[in-house]
Amino acid sequence: MAITKIIEIPYSLEIPVGPQHPALHEPLLLKVYADGEEVVKVEVYTGYNHRGIEKLAERNSFYRDIFIVGRVCGICNTVHANCYVRALEQILGIEPNNRAKYLRVLAMELERIHSHMLINAVMAEIIGFESLFMNIMLDRERIMKAKEILTGNRVLADYMMVGGVRRDINDEKKNKLLKLLNKTEERVKYYKQVFMEDDTILKRLVDVGIITKTDVLKYSLIGPPARASGVKIDARASDKYDAYDEVPFNVVVKKEGDSWARMILRWDEALESINMCKYILENLPSDGNPVPDEKRLPRRFPPGEAFTRVEAPRGELTYYVMSDGKPMPYRVKIRTPSFNNIINTANVYLGHSIADVPVILVSWDPCISCMERITVLDLTTGERKRMHLKELARGGRKWVSPRYSI
Amino acid sequence: MGKPKILDLILRNLLSKPSTIEYPKKETVIEPDARGRHYADLNKCIGCSLCSIECPADAIKMTPIPPEYEAPKRNPRKLYPVINYLRCIYCYRCIAVCPTNAYVSTNEYRLATTETIYSDMLSLSTLPKKTG
Repeated sequence: MAITKIIEIPYSLEIPVGPQHPALHEPLLLKVYADGEEVVKVEVYTGYNHRGIEKLAERNSFYRDIFIVGRVCGICNTVHANCYVRALEQILGIEPNNRAKYLRVLAMELERIHSHMLINAVMAEIIGFESLFMNIMLDRERIMKAKEILTGNRVLADYMMVGGVRRDINDEKKNKLLKLLNKTEERVKYYKQVFMEDDTILKRLVDVGIITKTDVLKYSLIGPPARASGVKIDARASDKYDAYDEVPFNVVVKKEGDSWARMILRWDEALESINMCKYILENLPSDGNPVPDEKRLPRRFPPGEAFTRVEAPRGELTYYVMSDGKPMPYRVKIRTPSFNNIINTANVYLGHSIADVPVILVSWDPCISCMERITVLDLTTGERKRMHLKELARGGRKWVSPRYSI
Repeated sequence: MGKPKILDLILRNLLSKPSTIEYPKKETVIEPDARGRHYADLNKCIGCSLCSIECPADAIKMTPIPPEYEAPKRNPRKLYPVINYLRCIYCYRCIAVCPTNAYVSTNEYRLATTETIYSDMLSLSTLPKKTG
C-alpha cells in the first residue's frame, strides 16, 4: 500500500525537550505519515525553543535560581520551585516546620486542580466542544483566584523559599479559600459527569490511543497516562515529601488505558486534590511561623548534592542539584514528565485516523500553549495545504472524510 | 446521538449576563496583597544594592540620586534602586531581602504600556526637593 500523503503538524507546544534541557517550553513537530486516513508513522521532532534554563541556573546564585526554575513551566511553577527548594534544603540540612509543609502542599494541590481543569478544557476544545471549554475555563478562574489569595499571584506563585513558604494565611483567607473550593468541587463533579455521559466525548475519546500496562512500563511513562493504564505510580505516595505523609489521599488508578480514561482520571485527581486542600485548611497546624526571614537564611552552601522528585500535574518531576561550595550551583539537572510522555509515545498514534492525532496528543497533557497550523502534502500531485489543527480534528474537509466530524 | 449533556447549562448561560469582566470599563477585583507595582521609599533606603544583587531578573539598577533632590544622611553612597517594570517578574525578592524594609508594595497591576517604565519618579517623589 503506497503512501500518498504526508501530513506535517508543527504544534506550538509547551513541552520539555532536549538531552540537556528537558524542562523548557518548546514547540514540537509531529510528522504524521498517513495512508488515506490511517496513520502509519509518527515522528516526534523536538528542540525548537531551547532556552538554556539549566545553564542560566548555573550562572546565578542559589536563591535567584528559586525564581528562575519557577519560570521553566508556567502551569507547574510551584512544583518546580518546591523540588528545587527541597534540594537546597537537603544540601543545607534545613527542615521547614509543619505549617510551612502544609501550605506548600496546599499551593501544589491548587496547581494540580487548575492544570487538570485546563487540559480537560483543551480536550473539549480540540474535539470541537467549545461551549464546554468555555464553561470549564470559567470555573477554573475560581482556582486562579484561590491561588491569588494564597500566594499573591494568579499563575506564577513564587511561593517556595528555603525553610518554608513566603506568605502565611489567616482565618479570613482560609474561609475565602474554603468557599471557593466548595464551589469548585460541585462544578468538577458536574464536569466529570459530562465527560462520563456525553455522547460527543465518548465517541471521540473511548478506545482512542490505547496504551497497555506492558507498554507503559516498557516506555517509562509516568503521571496520569501511566495511572490510566493501571500502573500505580505516584511520587506523592512513594516519597511522602512535605506534608503528604499526613494529608490523606488516594492514588487514582484506571485500567482502560485510552484517552477517555486519562481525562476521567484527571477529574478524579482534581476531586481528590480538592479534598486534600479542604483537609489542609481545616487541619492547618500552627507550630510556628512558616515564613522564614529571607535576610537571615544561610548565604553559603556547603559542597554537596541532592536529588529530589515531586509529583507534578503531568507526572514525576526530578531535580538534581550539585553544589561545590561556590555561590552558584555547579549543576542543576531537570527532568520533566512530558519528556517521557511525549517522546516515547509515537507508536500509540498508529492505526488511528488523522483526526485522532490531536486527541491522543492532548490526552498526554503536553502543556499546550497555542495551536499551530498543520501542513498537508499530497505526494501524488505535490500540493501543499495548510489548515488549523482544530480543523483537522473536525474532519479536515477534502483531506479527511467527515466521518469523524461532530 | 442524544441531546448534549450540557444543553441546560448552555441555555442558562444564554439567558444570564456574560461572565467576562468588561475590563477598561469595569475594575477587575484584585486582592489587596496581590503582588503589583512596588518602589523604594528613599527616606528608608540606605543604598546598599542588596536588592539589585538578589534580583533574579536583573531588573534593578542602582542609580545616583539627582543633585536637585536632598539625599538623606543614612544613604552615604547617594544611590537608589530603579526598577525596570517591564523586566521585573514581581517575585518581591527585593522586598524580602531589603535590610531596612524600604520598599513600598502596592497591588497596582495596570502596567500595560508601549514605553519602558521605571520606578524612578515614584521613588524620587518620596524625597524633598532642594530649595533655593
